[in-house]
Amino acid sequence: MSPLMMYQLVALGLLAIGLYGIVWRKSLVGMLISVELMLNGAGLSIVSSAQLTAADSATGQIATLFVMGLAAAEATLVLAIIVVVAKRFKSTETDAVSRLKG
Amino acid sequence: MTFNPNLILPEIYQFLVIAALFIQSIGSAKMREKVGLWLPIACALGVVVAVVSVGQQGLVFWKSYQVDHLSQFFKAAIAIGFFVTVLNATRQPTLDKEKTTDYFLFLALSAWGLMILASAVELITMYLALELSSYSLYALVAVRAKSKDAAEAGIKYILFGAVATALALYGFSYILAGMHTTYLAELVKGDWSFAASPMAVTGMALFLAGMFYKLALFPFHFWCPDVYEGASNETAAFIATLPKLGAIVILIRLATMFKPGYDITTMLAVLGALSMTFGNLAALVQTDVKRILGYSSVAHAGYIMIGLVAGTAEGLAAASFYALAYVAMNLTCFWVVSRVAVDGRNLKLKDLDGLHKRAPVLAFSLAVGAFALVGLPPMAGFMGKLFLFSAGWNHGYNWLIIIAGLNTAISIYYYLGLVRHAYTKDAEDDVPLPDTSSFSLVGAGLLSVLVLALGLMPAGVFDLALNAGGSLLP
Repeated sequence: MSPLMMYQLVALGLLAIGLYGIVWRKSLVGMLISVELMLNGAGLSIVSSAQLTAADSATGQIATLFVMGLAAAEATLVLAIIVVVAKRFKSTETDAVSRLKG
Repeated sequence: MTFNPNLILPEIYQFLVIAALFIQSIGSAKMREKVGLWLPIACALGVVVAVVSVGQQGLVFWKSYQVDHLSQFFKAAIAIGFFVTVLNATRQPTLDKEKTTDYFLFLALSAWGLMILASAVELITMYLALELSSYSLYALVAVRAKSKDAAEAGIKYILFGAVATALALYGFSYILAGMHTTYLAELVKGDWSFAASPMAVTGMALFLAGMFYKLALFPFHFWCPDVYEGASNETAAFIATLPKLGAIVILIRLATMFKPGYDITTMLAVLGALSMTFGNLAALVQTDVKRILGYSSVAHAGYIMIGLVAGTAEGLAAASFYALAYVAMNLTCFWVVSRVAVDGRNLKLKDLDGLHKRAPVLAFSLAVGAFALVGLPPMAGFMGKLFLFSAGWNHGYNWLIIIAGLNTAISIYYYLGLVRHAYTKDAEDDVPLPDTSSFSLVGAGLLSVLVLALGLMPAGVFDLALNAGGSLLP
């Protein structure tokens, strides 16, 4: 197995864990953590793709730095919206926060 | 690197508007409560700047930023749409006063991100521009004061948006591994059939998922009706229109790689067919006006795929034209919705009853917008569909056009439902009267004129779009 393949498998593992968490987690913070796992898995995948193929490795590293930075910004935003949800619903469980349907 | 600031004049201007809003937003509490007249005037100037910049051409920022006919066409459309949404949002019953400036700051930032997206020709630049415009929107959805629905819509929008972004980034990494470059100019030269480069094609399909989310294409549409319903009417007017322009311009740039017959082109066609069918069928049973418009935009995302799978300059031009027409039609409908809901509530279909007596101009505009969304002549939607169908015919996806034709027939029912409620029913007395100030009526009138003009005299705009499409394909 080539090194690229091993890195990609680990990244796919993170994606699978993240998707599992998004679907089965019952709290909004748990879902946020799952999303972060997926984003970091994507970062790993990008860095390994750039480093272990003919692509320019600096491109991959810069892209991953952007991904990490934006993931942090996104986490802040999600937490801010969770605070709004908690104030208005008095709960952050997904079962409580599901009024919109149809 | 020589650098000509004239090339990115619309972006620079928009940035100055953002800077002014930012300064105001950190001012005293009194300053923050009102943006006053200066913002609409500044946005009107922004439209002038963007229209003047049509025709600029150049490649800047180390070949990652392309200013061409396509980007300038979409920047002008974004500037016009931003101007209308700002006017529409000047009176917002459901926004806390002290958040007014912040609200417009985020709106302007989002429009700025979309303008950058229109010119991005490098995958990382696209990703950054897309996130710049998305994050601002995520924050806007939840600001509808004291609304539980808005909070729920906000958290759904951002969490699923983050999942779509993560998928797009996995796709990006596979493109990088398969094609070894992030520049579109290099990627176009690659072989995009699945047999030749499976990794890159898988990656591209995932990368497209990020764009499909913005465009609300099946199966990434599920946020759309919820977010439209939860967000305030004025915010929904923005979310329903401008981000679609950004997604479509990227799809048009990427579609130049896909020839008819490739697996990925067929995937686009199948998703388009599913999207229009699902959107129209789901819209039939809705009673909330914004949910109807939400499912309608899922359907329209499907129609636009026709132009993208054809693989010709006419197809890309038809998609650009349809995007512009779609924005004009939806802004007309949302303008009426925002004016009728004077207290900022969500409109049910029966809230439209008797509109022809209470506000004939608004009722007429709603009829124009709805007829245009169906695609009846002489509105913009008809010309848009005509261009799409004729550009797509005989390029291997005739079945898609037949499905689109059938779907147009289905969609007549719920669009005419809007008009039927406005024209044939009488209102109950306790429903609040719609806003019939001259501002509201003149705005509705001008938007209807725009929709009619795009339908009656499409030649000038379509030529611009054709230039844009032709500049991408050899």
